[in-house]
Parts: sequence; C-alpha cells; structure tokens
Amino acid sequence: MKWLDRQSFLGINSDQALRDAVIGLAGLGGGGSHVVQQLAHVGVGNFVVLDDDSIDNTNLNRLIGGRHGDLPKESRPGTDKVEIARRVIVDINPAAKVYARSALWQVEADRLKGCDLIVGGLDSVRAKSELEGFSRRFLIPYLDMGMDVHALDDGYLIAGQVALSMPGCPCLRCMGIVRQEALDEEGRNYGAAGGKPQVVWPNGVLASTAVGLAVQILSPWLPNPISSTYLEYDGNSHTIKESTRFARIKNLPCPHYPSNETGDPSFDVRKVLDTPAPVQNVATAAIPAPSWWRRLFGWLAI
Amino acid sequence: MKGRIKILATTLCAIRADLARPHEFAHERVGFLTAGVATSADSRLMLLGREYSPVDEDDYIPDPTVGVKIGSGAMRKALQSAYRPPAALLHIHTHGGSGRPDFSGVDRRSATEFIPSFFNPIPRMPHGILVLSDDSAKGLIWLTADRAPIPITDIISVGAPYAKYGAVI
Repeated sequence: MKWLDRQSFLGINSDQALRDAVIGLAGLGGGGSHVVQQLAHVGVGNFVVLDDDSIDNTNLNRLIGGRHGDLPKESRPGTDKVEIARRVIVDINPAAKVYARSALWQVEADRLKGCDLIVGGLDSVRAKSELEGFSRRFLIPYLDMGMDVHALDDGYLIAGQVALSMPGCPCLRCMGIVRQEALDEEGRNYGAAGGKPQVVWPNGVLASTAVGLAVQILSPWLPNPISSTYLEYDGNSHTIKESTRFARIKNLPCPHYPSNETGDPSFDVRKVLDTPAPVQNVATAAIPAPSWWRRLFGWLAI
Repeated sequence: MKGRIKILATTLCAIRADLARPHEFAHERVGFLTAGVATSADSRLMLLGREYSPVDEDDYIPDPTVGVKIGSGAMRKALQSAYRPPAALLHIHTHGGSGRPDFSGVDRRSATEFIPSFFNPIPRMPHGILVLSDDSAKGLIWLTADRAPIPITDIISVGAPYAKYGAVI
C-alpha cells in the first residue's frame, strides 16, 4: 500500500492534485504550525513558508514541531519558526519541496504570487487585511485563521474563526472580520484579554477546519465544494458554525476588490523582456563566417 | 519564458456559456478577456483574468470561407475595454468537445495579423489568444508585436474546485 491509500476517497486524481499544489503559509505560529503539519500529511507537495520569528519558551505550549532543544540558549537564538515548519514537512514527506525564509511575507511576495492557496496565521487585523488584498490581486484563494481569549466577568471566552476568502466572493471586510473599529482598536494597542493568551487545542480545531477547506477545493473530493465561508468557533461550547452575518451576505458581490484590480499595477512588459545579450557576444554572433570566395579573395590580396 | 493564466471559475463558466450560444450565421462565437499581468519568482508571466466582453451581434460579418469573422468595431470595443486601466487583451473562442484543444491554421494566421495591432494603444501589456474546449484550454501570448508568441502552459480556474488545465493535466 502507498502512504496516501487511506485517503483515496478524495478522488482519482487527488494524490496528483495535492502533490502539484503550491501552498503559501504566512505566519508559522500556533495555527500555521498545525496547518503545515496536516498539509504535509495529506500529501501537499510544495510549500512556501514565511515567518520572521523564532521560537521562545512561551511558544512551546502550542507550536507544533517545536522542541525544547529549539529554545534559545545563551550561545544562540531560538530556531526559526520556518525551519521548524520545514523540518516537520520533510520528516513526513521527504519529497516535498519547501521554500522556507525567515522574513516578513512582504519580502517574499514574488514567491507567494505563484501559490495556489495562501494560509494566513497572522495575529493583527491589519496584517490579515494586507495579505488578503495581496491574494485578491493575484487571484489566490486565501484561508484566514484567528483565535483570541477574551476576559469575561466570570472567566474567559475562547473564540476564533476560519474564513475562506475566494476571489470574486465576499472578503474579510464583507464578513466583518476586518472592520475599521478593529483596525483603530489595534492601532491603540487595546485588547480585552491583554497579552494574547493562546493554547494548543483551539488552534488545532481551527487549523483542522482550514485544512479541510483547503483539501475540498484542491482535490476532487466533493462534487460541490464550498467556495467561500466564515466559520465561527466557540471554544467554550466546543462548536463551529457558519456566521449568521456570512449567511446574509454570501451571495452578494464583494464591493471592496473590483475585478479590474488584478495584476501588478506597475507592470510593463517592455521591462521584463529578455535582456539583450552582452555586446561582446552579440558582436561575435553577428559576424558571419566569410564565404569561401571572400577567404580566397583575402588570401590573394595578401 | 512561459505563461500562466488564472480565470475565476464563474467567469470561465460565463465565457463558455456565451461562446456556446448559436449565432444567426457565424459557425462559432468569439469574445475578449481583459487581464492584469504580473511575473512570479520563477519568471513565469501570469495573466490574471479581469472581465469578459462578448462580441456584439452586429459586429459579426458573414464570410462562408471561415468559421467566424468579426469587424473592426469589435476590435475597437475590445481595445477600449483594455485601455484604462491598462490590461492584457485575450481573444477567446471555443472548439468544444473534450481534451486539450489546438489552434487551427486559420486561428494562427489571423492572430498574427490582428494581435500586433493591440500593441499600438496598449504597448505595456502582453496580448494573446485562447482556445477552449469543454474541459481544457490552450493559449499563446505575444510579448511584443514583432516576436513569436510564448505558450500558456498553465491555465487555472480559480474557484471551488480549483482546477488546473494545460501542461499540468
């Protein structure tokens, strides 16, 4: 038996579709590290993993693949999160191609342009919005995950979401995930729960949901896969359901990303044409060998 | 350099539905797709579909020697749609059936005549032709008016399912 035989129900060509898929992950923290592990398990063949952070001891409660030996020591910093992701992927599937760079995703934007799907595991609302805008411009489906712990009068609420933002369908602004108030609030660095408490299992629930959404659009598994959704997670009641707001807007066109904004706005084909060969080579190639009668004429002339 | 084109699945469905409509006298229909353009890290030229414009009924010209002939008005309207903001312009028609389609000799000859004219108003964008079947596609992109076209090796329908045609399948 082959290693993907147990998932043959995903369709005849599912192995190849997943092997050919190129998935970009921006943010390899608690959520992204779960996603990358599961995508490797289902046989995704190509990864672009980007995160400028390295592991520290407060990450060890939830970072999949993180080890005690990765923590910073006096002699060296902690292991880069993208290196941990790369290690997790190739330990599962040595044939996978992984482009891993410890950098902000904007630095490697050209790499992300070629992806079939982008998964965002970014903390800030502004960062989510920017990555989604990039994905829309290059017609790339975008999967967003987020989880927060909110202080209540009598305890804490674990809440989160998974959103599939498909070009042409409602965006994170349409869904209410990116709101001006949230951006303003973030700008003031105000948060109900203070310093971003996080735990491993809600991230796992959200990541598994995101991977399910990814597989259903990349493989022939479902006859009518979901093209766009906003799923809300209640970590206290352990439930996931479609957002009521999304149910109201899911069939409406997105006014935030017009169809005529795809592509690089400064693109000019004349700048990307093949550069001319060096002058020396051009000159060498441009002078044809003299014909036999010219060579004879030259010899006689001497 | 190789080319890739990505089109929203909904747009591709609309294109196929439009091109499948019988015409009063033309044997087939044509249309135009505008596209944004970018290059990827592997130097692949990416055309990112924007809007599809069917050719108006009045712009078809009777000509029994070819499957379809369109007038200068159709070209003018297509160029207008790609002029601001600047967009690549793709001439699209379908051969129907299943499997990877190919361009006919007439398709290639006529394209080498009309594609160079697209570069006069929109020189900063590549332009090309795309032929569809019911489940696949094939395309060529001209980077300038006077160079041979490059093949579109990947054609991707963006939606659910996310489907790749061309060299991949």
